[in-house]
Amino acid sequence: MLGIQSVASYLPKGRVDNLEQADRFETDREFVEQKIGVATLPRFEDTDSVVSACVAAFDRLCGKANIDKSEIECVVLCTQNPDKGGLPHNSALVHAALELPEECACFDIGLGCSGYVYGLSVIQSFMAANRMKRGLFFTCDPYSRILDHDDKNTCLLFGDAASVTLISETPRYTLATAKFSTKGAGSDALQKTANGLEMNGRAVFNFALQDVPKQIKRTLVSAELTADDIDLFLLHQGSRFMLENTIKRAGIPAEKAPIRLSATGNTVSSSIPLLLEEELDNRPRRILMSGFGVGLSWATAIYEEVKSS
Amino acid sequence: MNREEAVKIVMSMLEKNVEDLEMSEDKMDKTLVDLGVDSLDIMLVIMDVGEAAGVSISDDEAEGLDTPEKIVDFILGR
Repeated sequence: MLGIQSVASYLPKGRVDNLEQADRFETDREFVEQKIGVATLPRFEDTDSVVSACVAAFDRLCGKANIDKSEIECVVLCTQNPDKGGLPHNSALVHAALELPEECACFDIGLGCSGYVYGLSVIQSFMAANRMKRGLFFTCDPYSRILDHDDKNTCLLFGDAASVTLISETPRYTLATAKFSTKGAGSDALQKTANGLEMNGRAVFNFALQDVPKQIKRTLVSAELTADDIDLFLLHQGSRFMLENTIKRAGIPAEKAPIRLSATGNTVSSSIPLLLEEELDNRPRRILMSGFGVGLSWATAIYEEVKSS
Repeated sequence: MNREEAVKIVMSMLEKNVEDLEMSEDKMDKTLVDLGVDSLDIMLVIMDVGEAAGVSISDDEAEGLDTPEKIVDFILGR
């Protein structure tokens, strides 16, 4: 059965001091540190791109797993801020940069903060349907490209990052169950306009606190599990205040749900794999992941550790 | 719902969500900002009040609710 074998991430070297940004926006530093929960934001520099960040994540993955590039049969890349406007699809550019074999399927997925949970399911299903054995799932959504630099609501939140997940027939974690939801009628809560990224903070907040906990609970019920059965809850790292309250409303024990965005900010579809990479060494038995945002789109999945025979 | 019940809901949700805030009748017409309620707390308070009172408060409606008294009037008007 296919599943997650390994995960690696990459943070660009560029940094924005969020407290200096707070001063620029005449916002209380304490509010930025404690409520938004972000002290520094990783930012693409001029030399960074979706492709270079994905390649850097892949290089880190090679340090964790034994990878023969000639065996990679599938590359899926999740982004809504691709290089070259998305044409060609950036997975093909990564394919070229990594010098992968021609017999390799490549396609992009356009999703935001729900993208990791969605994308894992998509690549595993595609690979299973086509009898593929090893594939790579990348996330990289550099929101710095679309930020309105006069908009404190978004400038104080978003960071750039990339991740890659190795999907293989010798996994450490396999998918147990997943739920996917969309509220397209609310999509103007987070959208790109001529001015750049625009966010209705209240609408996104209400969505995260009201809809996401319901899906988390529904996913647990459908798997005939309770929060006690889950070792680790990886929720999309939107902002500290939003996370704390989403966790509370979902009935999740706070100690099982890391909030770790001080040095990353909200990295969109990379936020969950960033956490997953750090947490895998602790060998959680069951992991619940929940991503939510642009769309409005939200997805929750439970992954279980593969018992070694 | 009578006024007394509405006031009780608004006061309890403010105290529940805002650290160190103790509500009293004389604070009902103060602005939420003057009461030390920041922009994120306001969103949480409005959500909790709406759920506790069983009323739906749209984003546009919420924008104008800048004192506890106005929140009380709003839920009584529903």
